[in-house]
Amino acid sequence: MIIDNIINAFAELATIKTVFLMLIGVAGGLVAGAIPGFTIAMAVVLTLPFTFGMPPAQGLATMVSVLVGGLSGGLMAGILTGIPGTPSSVATTFDGFPMTRRGEPGLALGIGVWSSFCGGIISAFLLVTLAPQLARVGLEFNPWDYFMLVMFALTITASLAGKNLVKGLIAGALGLLVRTIGEDEAAGVARFNFGNDALLQGFDFIAVLIGLFAFSQLLSDVRDPVQAKKSLMDKGSVKIRIEHRRAIYEVLKRWTIVVRSALIGVFTGILPGAGGSIANILAYDQARKTSKHPEKFGTGIPDGIIAPESSNNAVEGGALITMMALGIPGDVTTAVMLGALLIHDVVPSPTFIVEEPVLAYSIFIAFFVATFFMVGMQSFMLRVFVLVTRVPMYVLAGVILGFCGIGVFAIQNVEFDLWTLLWFGILGFLMRYFGFPLAPMILGVVLGNIAELNLARAFAITTDLTPFVTRPWSLFFLIVALYSAAYPWFQRERGKKAWTFYYPAMLLASVSVPMFMMGGTVRPTIGAVLVIGALYNFYTARKTHSGSSA
Amino acid sequence: MDRMNRDAAVAIALLIMCGIFFWASFDIRQPDYGVLMPSTWPRIILAILTGLSLVYLFQSLTRPEETAEDNGSAREPGFMGWLSYWRNPLWCFALFFAYLLTLPVLGMLIGGISFVFLLLGVLGGWEPRKLALHSAIAVLSVGSMWALFTFGLGVILPPGVIFSPFG
Repeated sequence: MIIDNIINAFAELATIKTVFLMLIGVAGGLVAGAIPGFTIAMAVVLTLPFTFGMPPAQGLATMVSVLVGGLSGGLMAGILTGIPGTPSSVATTFDGFPMTRRGEPGLALGIGVWSSFCGGIISAFLLVTLAPQLARVGLEFNPWDYFMLVMFALTITASLAGKNLVKGLIAGALGLLVRTIGEDEAAGVARFNFGNDALLQGFDFIAVLIGLFAFSQLLSDVRDPVQAKKSLMDKGSVKIRIEHRRAIYEVLKRWTIVVRSALIGVFTGILPGAGGSIANILAYDQARKTSKHPEKFGTGIPDGIIAPESSNNAVEGGALITMMALGIPGDVTTAVMLGALLIHDVVPSPTFIVEEPVLAYSIFIAFFVATFFMVGMQSFMLRVFVLVTRVPMYVLAGVILGFCGIGVFAIQNVEFDLWTLLWFGILGFLMRYFGFPLAPMILGVVLGNIAELNLARAFAITTDLTPFVTRPWSLFFLIVALYSAAYPWFQRERGKKAWTFYYPAMLLASVSVPMFMMGGTVRPTIGAVLVIGALYNFYTARKTHSGSSA
Repeated sequence: MDRMNRDAAVAIALLIMCGIFFWASFDIRQPDYGVLMPSTWPRIILAILTGLSLVYLFQSLTRPEETAEDNGSAREPGFMGWLSYWRNPLWCFALFFAYLLTLPVLGMLIGGISFVFLLLGVLGGWEPRKLALHSAIAVLSVGSMWALFTFGLGVILPPGVIFSPFG
């Protein structure tokens, strides 16, 4: 069955046009990812208008290619200029740039490229194997569970996205509120249109996304008139040759770092809200802690490039697992992918992989194939990157703003969407300025109707509210949502207040309760393991606490 | 305005917005069918948002150091300083606004080229050499994008009054 699906997906993608579009996608992603200030999400968002006229598999394959290219593009800027192209490659600069300054840019780039490749392949493998399994778990979800899952996704995104949890939660709630404007999907009743007929349709999700994310980012990029006129590199050398053979040897020699970092990336990606920006730092930190020579980190050693680059490429595989199996986007990029699926009238849910196997496996295969394309194109795109870095930021921003207008209009041929782009561009800019994270708002806009629909379904079954705490999965998501909401508080007070010593033990003990409620053999066993973990944690915390207070 | 006051002002603006939306939620028609009324979910969100805005207001008044964020560079005092600091984003907004207002007349091709050209001018300068470069960039970028969508993807972009006989 899986083999059939893979063959059918290959057949769907194996057209000259699709391969060509994927190559362009990877190339575009590599350049976009390499330019500081232009995020991967922005590149994927701006690709969306081009794909609406394509068949779903082709359109999604193009977007996945941009995504894969973008994930690897950040390393070029980080290694050659010391300025990370995307937040996902911040840690790459720690050792990549020193290696370049030492006179080995070709090796640094090669290690980055091949680590990205390995991370991507491990992630693609886990995507193919884990997504259908997670979807099977998702089939157990009832409306209460789904509603709580959305609340959990919003809460954890809010707690991880910004410094201030309250601002993150406000952003998430604003996103939910924006989604309620227009006709109610269930009853067809107008809401918050304030007498304006154009608002009856609600705000187009893509226009909101491009406005909030791309438009506002471009305005932030050109805020400083002096910086706006500068280019990334005034004198770029095009004579750098990527040392593939030596790089492959260095990467394979450190395969444990590759595998560990890729796993960190995948599991960070599965968690809603935690993206590549967190994974690359986590993987770098882990590599340093487990190294025999931690003092060499930061001086330009291969380990310091392998860890972040393997993890940041693996993140999107993890985020795609949650998006495809549960219909919950893990980050802004997968939120856009979800939007692309919705444009093609495909609604991701636990039944998505079963009902649309060719499309689902096309995404898997595209992720896999694009990773190969990325390696092949990296050398060529390096020259393009060097040329692009000579273009002043204001020119890039001006051209992309012009493109935003055409792209947004093209999605629905509605002029109102252009106004949506402008208003949400202003809103996004203000939110950035006042320190509100945008990711929770975008997730709120994407997940708003899913939450309302499931709440309506739950109420249609019973008006009783107790299933929210008596159904195991709903209780599970409620518990992790509460703990994730308390997480920033925990981080701030860690070691200073007594309760912070017992926070992990309390979390493990609480999560074990729904596990026991689920029945069967495996899950109560996991629950028992969690209880043992909680007791051990409580014991060690008690010792540490009494030691520190003594 | 310092950061604490700015946060408090944002919190108050959010509370006013919640009030307006809450008041508007009473205009939502309640149908005779369905269990979850169309106004219920928005009101739940508004209740949460109001609560969070109150916490935010309280935080901004009591713990300004926690919400304080360094937004950066030196800004001259007064309205002119503010205007100069935000000059580029304000130009972007104003030009995009003008682009949308003139879209029915100029259409997407001429309007888009004009928008990009003017934007590059205000951001990059008006020296003669740059003028030629900016006009070439505007025509090539918007023109190619317009051609791709019109001929490649079959999207009918607004032709405007000038191009409507050919549209």
